[in-house]
Amino acid sequence: MAYIGRGTDKISNVEVLDNITFDGSSSYTLQKNSVNFTPSSANTLLLSIDGVVQAGNFTVSGSTIDFGTAVAGTSTCDFVLHYGVGLITAPSDGSVTEAKIGTGAVTSSKLASGAVPNQSAFKNIVINGSMDIAQRSTSVTGITNGSSGYHTVDRFQFAESGSPSAVFTQSQSTDVPTGQGFAKSLKMDCTTAQGSLGAGDLIRIRTTFEGQNLQYLKKGTSSAESLTMSFWVKSSKTGTYICQLLDKDNSRSISKSYTISSADTWEKKTITYDGDTTGAFTNDNGSSLQVIWWLGAGSGSSSGTLQTSWGATTTADTAVGQVNFADSTSNDWYITGVQLEAGTSASDFEFLPVDVNLNRCQRYYYKSYGQGSGTVPLTSSGWIGSRHAIAYNTTNLGMDVRYPAPMRSSPTVTIYHQDGSSANVYEIVTGGKKAVTGIQYGNDSGFWNITASAVFTTNAHYYFQIVAISEL
Amino acid sequence: MNRNFTSVTKIYNSNEATFYRIVENGVTSSVPLDEANTDYQAIQEWIADGGTVIDNGGGE
Repeated sequence: MAYIGRGTDKISNVEVLDNITFDGSSSYTLQKNSVNFTPSSANTLLLSIDGVVQAGNFTVSGSTIDFGTAVAGTSTCDFVLHYGVGLITAPSDGSVTEAKIGTGAVTSSKLASGAVPNQSAFKNIVINGSMDIAQRSTSVTGITNGSSGYHTVDRFQFAESGSPSAVFTQSQSTDVPTGQGFAKSLKMDCTTAQGSLGAGDLIRIRTTFEGQNLQYLKKGTSSAESLTMSFWVKSSKTGTYICQLLDKDNSRSISKSYTISSADTWEKKTITYDGDTTGAFTNDNGSSLQVIWWLGAGSGSSSGTLQTSWGATTTADTAVGQVNFADSTSNDWYITGVQLEAGTSASDFEFLPVDVNLNRCQRYYYKSYGQGSGTVPLTSSGWIGSRHAIAYNTTNLGMDVRYPAPMRSSPTVTIYHQDGSSANVYEIVTGGKKAVTGIQYGNDSGFWNITASAVFTTNAHYYFQIVAISEL
Repeated sequence: MNRNFTSVTKIYNSNEATFYRIVENGVTSSVPLDEANTDYQAIQEWIADGGTVIDNGGGE
């Protein structure tokens, strides 16, 4: 009568070996699934011949079992079982729980390459993606045609083209997605509407990266990395928006759309861009890659077919389907948590300490006055941190101005008097205001001289503030 | 978009050009002669579009 119940190969650590085919020999090779099998010892084997269980009347050596006497070829092997040491039967799928894994038992050597992507420090290519740093100002009104540039949040630039009549207020906002850890967002508020955009009108927010920071993407090779962009966005204007990657070194681009589904609701968007096997990024401090969030696109940039694969930039294909965010003064657009990383999946946002974030931004923009002092003229509190120099003759102020971070290139430097006027310094004791010509002996680390046309008093001391800019 | 400089002056020290002095939106700044500087690049575009740099060869 057949045994009713679970098969013996399903119980504990018992393994069922292949039945032995006897041929009159005394020794045979043990196999499991036609592969030689070495038991732990003779005592862990149980087999049956012609209905008689055999135990202890044989020896094993390696995968060979020896009965010490010939076993007739007419004999039949009923079963061969091996009672091994430890659990051999593979656990069923999904049956190993976290509690069954010892603390610290999973080592990095057990992880396949790429199994845990995007976990390196500074995985986020975007600087200030949390929108925490806004050195210039926290709110700027009247942004319109001719206002391309950096206004509030560091590293995020308003970029218009054509002659858009729409006007915006850009600000660093505290409106953020709930429970995500963000404190600030970038807000664009349409304050003067433009119902219809001209063919050449472009309204965008963009951020740009140095090529020397992108070499690991291996762009332009067969191993080019995919890129995944993730961000939180909210707008009162629903519909299709375009997020474009622009390779400035090779005039190539790729555009993908995202949809704002619900008005005035924070939504997380994730967009993956294929790696580009054509066109390497130049390994220098110049502009190589730009991320562009479109807010408005005239027909000149939207009349074609959206270019969803990397290729030479075709203007008409860059922003097809983009809604006109500028069509109502009720329209607001917020963004935060911007992360661009190598790979095909979005990992958690990489939060950085504020001092690290600020220092990274200072590679592109530095002001000597306090972070809380957003504008000139300088307030008394903002005057703290002013630079100090001594005139060693009537035309030169000697000093040692060092930037807190090496700047991307030799920066453009503006010298400010405490009343907010540029190209002037304040003479201590006399309170005189002295016009200066410019700076001298400068590089990406600082400068060492301010020049003037014979207005300084030799050995007099001077105060001033500086703004140094080396944006992309 | 090309910039709208009020004036661009090449500044010399010991007869060697050292930087551009630009006036833009009422603010006077020093632009280094560094091709990687985007203000320097903008000046070159401005010149290409017909802008005239004040250049007295260090005789100011």
